[in-house]
Amino acid sequence: MTGAAPAPWRFDAIGTTWEIVTEHPLPAEGRDEVMSRIDAFDRSWSRFRADSDVSALARDGGSIPAPADAAPMLEALAALSGATGGAVNPLVGGSLEALGYDAAYSLRERVPVAAPADWRERLTWRDGRLALSAPATIDVGAVGKGRLVDLVLDGLARTETGDMVVDAGGDLAVRGRPQRIGLEHPFDPRRAIGVWEVTDAALCASAVNRRAWPSATGATMLHHVLDARTGAPVRTMAATWAVAPDAMTADAIATALFFDGGPRLAHEWGVEWVRMTTDGRVEWSPGCRADLFVRADSVER
Amino acid sequence: MIRTALASRPVRAGAALTAAAGIALLAGCAPTASDAEEPATPDTGATESTDTGATGSDAGAGSYADGTYTADGSYATPESVETITVTVTLEDDLITAVEVTGDPQKRESEQYQGQFIGGIADVVVGQDIDDIQVSRVAGSSLTSGGFNEAIETIKSEAAS
Repeated sequence: MTGAAPAPWRFDAIGTTWEIVTEHPLPAEGRDEVMSRIDAFDRSWSRFRADSDVSALARDGGSIPAPADAAPMLEALAALSGATGGAVNPLVGGSLEALGYDAAYSLRERVPVAAPADWRERLTWRDGRLALSAPATIDVGAVGKGRLVDLVLDGLARTETGDMVVDAGGDLAVRGRPQRIGLEHPFDPRRAIGVWEVTDAALCASAVNRRAWPSATGATMLHHVLDARTGAPVRTMAATWAVAPDAMTADAIATALFFDGGPRLAHEWGVEWVRMTTDGRVEWSPGCRADLFVRADSVER
Repeated sequence: MIRTALASRPVRAGAALTAAAGIALLAGCAPTASDAEEPATPDTGATESTDTGATGSDAGAGSYADGTYTADGSYATPESVETITVTVTLEDDLITAVEVTGDPQKRESEQYQGQFIGGIADVVVGQDIDDIQVSRVAGSSLTSGGFNEAIETIKSEAAS
């Protein structure tokens, strides 16, 4: 390889920092297309903007024309919900709001509320309609960013050739040349617990250290990965990483791994993973190819 | 997950009861189990257990009346808190039987350490990101915009 490394294009969108690397600099039209793709997704699914489809459903309930991506995302969420015994729930938005993770970022904790366990009766997507029997806040956070990374990468692949990386603040997809990805230590962002070389695949991560804010008493920190059955943040898992052919699948498993059923679902979907518990233990999938910096005498198989 | 490793050989009572208590903290990890086995060199334990024996300073090595002791413990899985009951039978300060019965609240918990997990390490060394030549880093999503501003607001309110 000769020549300078392609310059990454960085921007902020959907509450995180993006970095897109293409073999050749993206022309203005290419950038516009990426931005409009992200904006369209945001207008459908963001619970942080008042003019989105999910905000309309949260206010009024009822039925709207199903946004693009409704079926693939909600079907993935349904699989996650089933695999985790209801710990993942697409109507968890209200629970996040109760903890202060709301559209205004109030970050003011109120009393935790569980998400409706009967969400399958309340939320439907069929015949091109997305419907809620009563107002509720849909949150596709478990899969949404991965889905959007896939959409952006697919869009770029139509016009761009060569190596490509779409990185949405740590959820990323790679085409072409392998990328060595550091697995950030959830308790010390200057350190990595391992390296994962990713080729033509997606790696998504989830961790509790950045999207975190003080509880009402100030004694503990709250974060955005909730157990929908209680509405409280998960306290046992600190970080998860998953590698899959597409980013939505990797994103989904990265969320599932916060719960017991995650490893089984990862097995069913053929996804490799690593996760770290809050007491510092690291686990990984059978055959996982990540290079982990663990002490050999502490390993159990 | 539910270990009965102690049952295989005699263990000094003090260590064993500590271990049984330790199960309450057991988060499915090896060190708790191996720590429990470590002080189990049975011969010294056996001789120490004369009636006048153990001194107060020898933590956890006091004499115990023969009998059966039962304690409830709990441990956290990624999903829930599971409860277990540990029953230890003592004769002359030696453990003659340990029974651990679990009441997993969810079936998945039994498989928690099972076929879907390839390996577990209790000690992560970690390396400085500057030293490992990576093209990028993945962990928690970077935050931007509104969230960062909100956190700053909270910090400044807390400081004032």
